[in-house]
Amino acid sequence: MEEYAMHEKRIKILIAKPGLDGHDRGAKVVSHALKEAGMEVIYSGLHKTIDQIVNIALQEDVDIIGLSIMTGAHIPIVEKLMKKMRDEDIIDKTVFVGGVIPAKDISKLKGLGVAGVFPGGTPLSEMIEFIKTHMKKA
Amino acid sequence: MDLAKKVLQGDEKSAARLISMIEDGGDEGHREISLLFSHTGKAHIIGVTGTPGAGKSTLISKLAVNFADKGKKVGIIAVDPTSPKDNGALLGDRLRMRDVEETKGVFIRSMASRGYPGGIAKASAGAVYVLEALGKEIIMVETVGAGQTEMQIYSLCNTIITILAPDYGDEIQLMKAGLLEIGDIVAINKADNVRAEDISAEIAVYIGKNKSKGWETPVLTVQAKEGGGIEKLVEAVNEHFVYLNKNTCGKDIKKEKLKTFMFALLKEELWNRALNTWAGNKRFDSIVKKLQKGEIDPYAAVRKALEINGL
Repeated sequence: MEEYAMHEKRIKILIAKPGLDGHDRGAKVVSHALKEAGMEVIYSGLHKTIDQIVNIALQEDVDIIGLSIMTGAHIPIVEKLMKKMRDEDIIDKTVFVGGVIPAKDISKLKGLGVAGVFPGGTPLSEMIEFIKTHMKKA
Repeated sequence: MDLAKKVLQGDEKSAARLISMIEDGGDEGHREISLLFSHTGKAHIIGVTGTPGAGKSTLISKLAVNFADKGKKVGIIAVDPTSPKDNGALLGDRLRMRDVEETKGVFIRSMASRGYPGGIAKASAGAVYVLEALGKEIIMVETVGAGQTEMQIYSLCNTIITILAPDYGDEIQLMKAGLLEIGDIVAINKADNVRAEDISAEIAVYIGKNKSKGWETPVLTVQAKEGGGIEKLVEAVNEHFVYLNKNTCGKDIKKEKLKTFMFALLKEELWNRALNTWAGNKRFDSIVKKLQKGEIDPYAAVRKALEINGL
């Protein structure tokens, strides 16, 4: 039982839907899965601007920003995000990207500073394992 | 670490970081808080409680926008329940405060109700002090108020608004939960005019018990989603703050609440220290084994366990 155990530091993650993308089922499924894996999850809701996403990440002091992008605009969005994160001095936070991401863009995203890319179809267990392992090293 | 200094200068990132440090437990966070404490005590801390689905988040966001439009700096702490099963939490209150996300100068922090090494009372108190030191004049704390610790969060607050929806069900449940008794202001949400009057009459019986002199709990109707009744609610909130500050009763209430809150923190801290003593303690483990084998009864087990702590 929770009250009788010593706590491991919990991972706090923001799942964000940037821009005009209206498909949120994936983001909601991932949010629930991460919660069930013991994480503290904040779901941003639809149609958030980069400024709003960075503001939430800053106020909530999340460990990870997880972008869910189905529109194909992942590269410009991540470029904007990284710039804003630098401006607000939170570039040390980890960024993951999931959604409709073609394999050929993965290395470009990683080059921009994204720690993990989870194209649609990635098993949830794999995502969770990656996140937990990555955060242990951080 | 000069987080405290940065917070006092208005640095939001440092404030967020410091709140995390308090959530994580540990002495460093406490030290920084002590540096901030002398800068607190003037803000209006408003607790918002009510049954799930009554409209707390929506109401808070409307109130926040109203205060912000009047030039007040606002902070919001939204406490969401943690699942006892997997220890994770989906902090969804922020999602319901869309209006506020567009408003500048409002700081929202979400918290899970359990799993903070220091306990939620300590974490939320820390967050309140940090937000006040950051410059917030109005700090709203939202919680479901189901557990005993959540009840103690209310002793942190100057004013408590209890929100009800007309389909709240069994009045007796409410009495047990104590939600009505602790409300300084009661707001009935989503009510059409006819039903609202019925409810006012019903609950008038329950509120006003154990009430201090000089303040009569107003029962207001609001339509949180549409923004109806917000101005009157804001008036009542401001009146209550004036009452607390001008009145001797108000000052006594504040003293009593501080003591109650200290006891809430003591309880959490004692428990955490005890847990620390017992974790990995072979003597403790063998007591548990004996209990489970039926060699000793639970009361004896507890006596023996406390001997480890010298109690």
